Amino acid sequence: MKGRHHIVLETKHLKYEFDICRNITVINGDSATGKTTLVSLLQEYGLRQDSSGIRLQSDVPCVVFSGSSDNWKYMLDGYKGSIVFFDEGYDFVFSKEFSEAISHTDNYYVIIARKPLKNLPYSTKEIYGIRTSGKYHFPEQVYHEFYPMIEGSVFDGGVEADREYILLVEDEKSGYQFFSSVTDICEGVGGNAKFYNVIQKTGREKNICIIADGAAFGAYISDNLELRKRGYGLSVYLPESFEWLILKSGVVVGDDIQSVLAHPEMFIDSEDYFTWERFFTDYLKKVTEDDTVKKYSKSRLAEYYKTRQVSDKVVSILPNELKKWL
Amino acid sequence: MLRIFIGRKEDEYYGPSYFKFNYDLEWLEDDLVRKMIKDVDKSEYVGGELVHSDILGPISPRELSGGVQTLICIYKNPDKVFDATSCGPNCAQWLLEIGKRKDVTVALEYFLPFDGYDPIDVYIENTDKKYSNADEYAIAALDLLQEVD
Repeated sequence: MKGRHHIVLETKHLKYEFDICRNITVINGDSATGKTTLVSLLQEYGLRQDSSGIRLQSDVPCVVFSGSSDNWKYMLDGYKGSIVFFDEGYDFVFSKEFSEAISHTDNYYVIIARKPLKNLPYSTKEIYGIRTSGKYHFPEQVYHEFYPMIEGSVFDGGVEADREYILLVEDEKSGYQFFSSVTDICEGVGGNAKFYNVIQKTGREKNICIIADGAAFGAYISDNLELRKRGYGLSVYLPESFEWLILKSGVVVGDDIQSVLAHPEMFIDSEDYFTWERFFTDYLKKVTEDDTVKKYSKSRLAEYYKTRQVSDKVVSILPNELKKWL
Repeated sequence: MLRIFIGRKEDEYYGPSYFKFNYDLEWLEDDLVRKMIKDVDKSEYVGGELVHSDILGPISPRELSGGVQTLICIYKNPDKVFDATSCGPNCAQWLLEIGKRKDVTVALEYFLPFDGYDPIDVYIENTDKKYSNADEYAIAALDLLQEVD
């Protein structure tokens, strides 16, 4: 499945309206916002369609997982070309087996869960809460909409001039190799899950900046941002991925780069890519494969990207808040 | 006191299911329960099997939010351990309030902040330590949550 799907779900008294545009969407937030009601309406619609008195507007089927925890694999096999909703309370959604089962499938998945889904590579942009808007009360129709729990991709923690600076990136691959060529304060933490512990060990006495792939940092962002609220001098930048930054900077050329960057969801098929991060890696490889100078490799970044002229161009598109570290 | 175990307990209950199949109408008559329903669900317990929700209109107690159902279970069954992951951040003050009135133990698998309610009275089983400051609780809970799969 690819594309952005606009969903309207409506009864006389309730209306939900939202877009789903990636293979994994997570809903959490406060209690009593209407998460379970949303799932109940979809379930009822699934049973009785229009005769339920519920109106569903969607260009793809919206189905609710309703099997038991024992037969979930079997049930999942039956969904094709659908948006599959999971209500809170299914333990298997946190497992590696679930992650393997839903990767490279022709469905999008919407999961209601407060506990971070550490085995799923979901985007920081696709974590939503639900809120009601307007001043209506029963019996008037109450309008529900999704809102992002993590707003934006830049979180400026501020800096203290007399403190040491440190820039943390996920691993020692291309992103690390690039940032190490523009600053000598860059360190790889060894994986998304390790940012928190490295920040904790680094302590409150340094100006810390982390650059993480927003496309797959959904399970970790909240805990890291909590540290920022609690006296850690922490700034965070979440581009989709390092490859997305390279593409965005204009240092490589390709016929449809601008269209891909403007609407990635129109190009990224969930059957081919579990995360957008992997798509951008393959896409960058593809547009540079015939160029011996620019040929992109994630494990060993070509010298071209570290030249002053090119790195200046990439740095120029970074948020201003980050430039203190470079 | 509110005792929290960060992670999963083998004998824990899932509040929304436990409530739906075991609730007692007497629970809903309780003043604190009424306040929790009013604050979290914007609903009022009318009597019998009737709750009036600002959003949904007349509903049964089974249609209360999973968060409030879990809060009620924790308060009314202090001998049992419930998974408070079903409770959103807007339930935090009520967990603390329950802890002031009864000794209860909950399991928690996400970071639920108690910011703004200092001094708090929370004990984390994993660290075997009491916390009166929401910030200190936060760091201890967040550290432990990194180890939860």
